[in-house]
Amino acid sequence: MSSINTPAVVMDNGTGFTKLGFAGNDSPSWVFPTAIATRNSNSSSTTNTSSILNKSSDLSSINSPYTSSDTSFLNRNKISNNSIHGNREMSDLDFYIGDLAIDASKGPSYSLNYPIKHGQIENWDQMERFWENSIFKYLKCQPEDHYFLLTEPPLNPPENRENTAEIMFESFNCAGLYIAVQAVLALAASWTSSKVIDRSLTGTVIDSGDGVTHVIPVAEGYVIGSAIKNIPIAGRDITSFIQTLLRERGELDSSLKTAEEIKQKFCYVCPDIVKEFRKFDNDSEMFAKYIVETVSHRKVEIDIGYERFLAPEIFFNPEIASSDFLTPLPIIVDQVIQASPIDVRKNLYKNIVLSGGSTMFKDFGRRLQRDLKTIVNERVEASERLSGSKSSGVQVQVISHKRQRNAVWFGGSLMAQTSEFRSYCHTKRDYDEYGPNIVRNFSLFSVP
Amino acid sequence: MLQLEPQNLLIEETFASALSPNYEFPSLDRILTDFDFTTYRISTPEDKGKILLSIGIKCWSDLAKYGSLELLKEKYGHYSFIQILSEGSCEPGYDVSLYIDINNCTLNNIEKAELVCQLSLLKRNCFAAPFLKAFKRYEVLSRENPADPNNIYGEDSVAATNNNEEVLKLDYRGEESIFIKPSNDRVTVIFSTVFNDETDKIFSKIFLQEFSDARKRSIQKAPQVINSHKDVPLEIQHIEKPTGEKTYITFVLFPRHLNTEDAKWNTITHIQMFRSYFHYHIKIVKCYLHQRMRYRVQSFTKILNRAKREVDEAELRSERKTASGRRFEVR
Repeated sequence: MSSINTPAVVMDNGTGFTKLGFAGNDSPSWVFPTAIATRNSNSSSTTNTSSILNKSSDLSSINSPYTSSDTSFLNRNKISNNSIHGNREMSDLDFYIGDLAIDASKGPSYSLNYPIKHGQIENWDQMERFWENSIFKYLKCQPEDHYFLLTEPPLNPPENRENTAEIMFESFNCAGLYIAVQAVLALAASWTSSKVIDRSLTGTVIDSGDGVTHVIPVAEGYVIGSAIKNIPIAGRDITSFIQTLLRERGELDSSLKTAEEIKQKFCYVCPDIVKEFRKFDNDSEMFAKYIVETVSHRKVEIDIGYERFLAPEIFFNPEIASSDFLTPLPIIVDQVIQASPIDVRKNLYKNIVLSGGSTMFKDFGRRLQRDLKTIVNERVEASERLSGSKSSGVQVQVISHKRQRNAVWFGGSLMAQTSEFRSYCHTKRDYDEYGPNIVRNFSLFSVP
Repeated sequence: MLQLEPQNLLIEETFASALSPNYEFPSLDRILTDFDFTTYRISTPEDKGKILLSIGIKCWSDLAKYGSLELLKEKYGHYSFIQILSEGSCEPGYDVSLYIDINNCTLNNIEKAELVCQLSLLKRNCFAAPFLKAFKRYEVLSRENPADPNNIYGEDSVAATNNNEEVLKLDYRGEESIFIKPSNDRVTVIFSTVFNDETDKIFSKIFLQEFSDARKRSIQKAPQVINSHKDVPLEIQHIEKPTGEKTYITFVLFPRHLNTEDAKWNTITHIQMFRSYFHYHIKIVKCYLHQRMRYRVQSFTKILNRAKREVDEAELRSERKTASGRRFEVR
């Protein structure tokens, strides 16, 4: 097919948010929640159908300046009680995704669903429709004309890949498909940092989003599955920690939204808690004020104190916020690297890459590097003492860069704009020839 | 989402935020797409307050021939802060560029909303020119030779059979084309489309059948739709060679679709999206079928699971074997 000049589509469907865009851009065109609002099943009873129809026409009339089409004729034959079809005649088209889904679910007739759980697709029906809407409404492209790069979490079962390929090739007839592991793309995104000298696909990825933080070792583009560790501390926990601090102090506004904004605007990582406390006590300049507008349009001023540095501190001293998970992040990273094969450990220490919104705190990378270096140096010294011979030393380097927030998507965009990208993809013709199991293997990106 | 929306949501969003009062002027450089190999680029090459919106369309040479550029000038030219660049002066690799100076924009909110709406409809505006040209020609023809009011469908009318009127042709996707032919009592629009996938071909046949039948059933106001597979319609036989691969869909637009300015634009908006709409619906149908199939398989699995016999503990123990196949002693 003549799809020579069309940019590839990069789709990163995460548990919380979906990032959509075209290869070659530096940021995703769309970022919205991976949510889909579908019609409630109980609303199919004929008594309240009319009110729901009105409701849906209200929602669809948002776009009225553009089209003046009348679709009411389609709803005319609503009342049919076929056992399987029920009242489903048009209901498969009656759904919203992203932010519109969240708005729609506030009304009575739609229910909100998240088709991806723990990074993996759970509900294929909803995911298929989610993709359909993303492609046709938000990206406005014919899937036949574009190559697609999708992402998957590490340790995704191959059956899920096959299901994805079935949908992409059979429903959408997309021209070509590549499914990349998120951690590998995050490594590729770090190449924009000036600290990276040799572009390799070996490194440790710390991916911290909203729900869970993963530490994933990658060797030459392959994920070392046995060594992956998860930490149940991520963005959501930081926000709720800030919220508790605000509540304990009796601030006038302690909503989740306020806590979220404080987290994004004021928080940073400090080198030493004790010194930081002293600094705050000596210098009142460190305390910040934040003005919130409440629902009733009243302006409320909030004091922001120790939470500025305490909130991100829960990565390094989890005991201040949680009682069931007590291992600090640097120790976990060290354990992960120690669990990896011995010949890649040095490179894993040398290239620790951050990805995801919860790694965006100022000096997060520096603190992690320092703590990790302390652990590593202690071990090196101990082994020198025991063996009596001099070690060549281990270099520890944490790389932070500007694209951390959407690192996975950006890595995908980088990869998909290369001229070789298409040769790595499986095309529709390959799929028709060999069947879904061809997507079990993808050739890795060669490192330029 | 029964209808595809004609506006490009990303352009709409970009300019809605750019024209809002507290805009921060980030530097932009984005590539976007639209259906039928249309690409846009939004960038701020010189100054963050000046946005360059470029559009590249596959069949631009055809569109330019039918006066798209003039139409764009008419649509956007009256805004003093928008410069229309074309041919030599536009961004390389694209066909037309609009250079929008946000800083010098002095519109009120309603006018701004109108401008955002028009910008997001850039592709439609480009495609509108040949349609408008054909509609104009139709008006001339209908004055010269008024249609017989008793012959609604124009059967056996002189003009329909013997007409040397020029057919406007757009090769909008390379081998797929749109043909527009004005006449004294109607405008005929013919789409030719190719399916690469055998399954799609079958879906398309059923879908088109429904499409042409819909008019008979409930929607009398709709244009007449005639579809033919492989056979080239009479109107374009002199310019189109039969290949045996293409499907032709003919829309007959009657005076009621062309009589007012609003009706004309509504017709154009819908008809230029037809191919995308058509392919979109084929895909939706497949999604729906997949959904039904998954549901069925699930219900079958449920029934099969019900047939499973419950094995009690003692029986399980007697069934247990070692690796070499020996049974455990039952005590």
